[in-house]
Amino acid sequence: MKQGKPVFLTIYTVLFFLYIFAPLILIFIFAFNRGEGYNLPLRGLTLNWFSEFFNDGMALRSIKNSMIIAFISATIATLLGTGLTIGLIKGIARYKTLFITVLMLPVLMPSLTIGIAALVFFRTISIPLGIPVVILSHVSICISYVFLIMMGRIEGITLETQEAAVDLGATWFGSLKDVVLPVIFPAILAGWLFSFMISWNEFIVTYFLIGTDVTLPIYIFSQLRFGISPKVNVISVLITLFTIIIIITINYSRKVYGRIRSRVV
Amino acid sequence: MSTILKNNKKLIYPALIWFAVFFILPLAIIVIYSFTTDYVFQGNRTSFTLGNFLTIFQKKHYLIILGRSLKIAAITTFFSILFSYPVAYFLAKKTRFDRVLVVLLMVPFWINYLIRIFAWKLLLSENGIINQVLQLTGIMDEPFKILYTQTAVILGLVYTYTPMMVLPLYATIQKIDNSLIEASRDLGASRARAFFDVTFKLSLTGIFAGTLLVFIPALGSFAIPAILGGTDSVMIGNMVENQFFHAGNWNFGSAFTLTLAVLSIVLILFYSRIFGLETLYKSREY
Repeated sequence: MKQGKPVFLTIYTVLFFLYIFAPLILIFIFAFNRGEGYNLPLRGLTLNWFSEFFNDGMALRSIKNSMIIAFISATIATLLGTGLTIGLIKGIARYKTLFITVLMLPVLMPSLTIGIAALVFFRTISIPLGIPVVILSHVSICISYVFLIMMGRIEGITLETQEAAVDLGATWFGSLKDVVLPVIFPAILAGWLFSFMISWNEFIVTYFLIGTDVTLPIYIFSQLRFGISPKVNVISVLITLFTIIIIITINYSRKVYGRIRSRVV
Repeated sequence: MSTILKNNKKLIYPALIWFAVFFILPLAIIVIYSFTTDYVFQGNRTSFTLGNFLTIFQKKHYLIILGRSLKIAAITTFFSILFSYPVAYFLAKKTRFDRVLVVLLMVPFWINYLIRIFAWKLLLSENGIINQVLQLTGIMDEPFKILYTQTAVILGLVYTYTPMMVLPLYATIQKIDNSLIEASRDLGASRARAFFDVTFKLSLTGIFAGTLLVFIPALGSFAIPAILGGTDSVMIGNMVENQFFHAGNWNFGSAFTLTLAVLSIVLILFYSRIFGLETLYKSREY
């Protein structure tokens, strides 16, 4: 297999990564570009768009709302999802495949169907649309992602450790709290971060359920429909930086987990 | 051991109940709406009907939207396979930096896709970046008009979902044993033959997994046609939104939504029967 350097493939891959990143680089450039529209050549640096963005009450409120929704959804989903994963992987023997298939639906189905179904459901039982309703739906989506993230990592832990703890006099709850949870903690953290990002980025379900309120994706969408304000560039830059921090955290937690696991198992 | 198992098992209930109430039950209600004539739960007189579905499949207008969505999703899937296969192959077999590159590939994925679509709007519009460059360099005199067409929608969809294709492909190609390829070469196969008969065939699982991850969201896409598309690119999602927010026919809207749901569930079940869901969830872990 090691015959020669794959010149074509290497060039192709570089081009591919350029293709993926070029639009983002473009946004970064225009976030700092002086001058109204998007005209070449560039006119020099400015931070005006940033100050304009931070004076936009609607934009700031959308960020605040998105933070609240993502934080609460991720926290509830991680709590429920952790229990679900331990219970399914280290408890249930029958119907496991069926459970897993059904749990994968929110990940695989078009968000549109989830959003519409939730809209019809909440309107039918006369619960007003808004942030609380968005959280209820985001949690059920995030549970699936928590499960997805944690499943592989919990499989590696043997039941014997839990059994040993119980044999040595621990209660079941004690064995869970002192033996299982510390070992899977990095997986829990990764699940939380993943859920946070899913909820933070979620657009379609939110669009149908948010009513008259606004989240960041909704705000961006409304800006995009009626023109292309450079304020959107500013949001993009901020989100990109924020995202990179989270991705680094997730990967770091994965590494730490690997180290802990190699020590325990 | 058995009490531990029994106690562990109880941990699934809170999540399961939440999931049943806020995910499964809403889907069930959609099913009821699609087979009835009026708003059942508001106490209106209502009866069973297949009329909502008949409308979808008999009225030309709706059939066109359905067909167009399937076509756009299929073209998107085709190009995402074409674009991502060489990259996936390179990552899996030809580099040591694959882990880093895969994480890098997922960075734009985590940045809201509306923002990435916005970038495409900047690129494609009549006085957009590409047109400006083409005119400044004198390659073209007249700006091309591509924004608000189906082509723009497909470009946006391919760009958005191609990374979803790379991941499962990368995962399956990586697992292919190099000695199999070497064996076929030793037995006289040309490099092309070895690639198509061994590598490509063994990577079909990845292609199907990627197809699922690209085709289904593309089929149900709503924001991308709304932002990049025009009147010739209305898709199921835009149609359904219109039914609920403007036309106000929940029964018909539900039937349309259910059609989309059934299409995707059939694809998912079909896939899981043949390959199992393993490749799928492994590739969604990043």
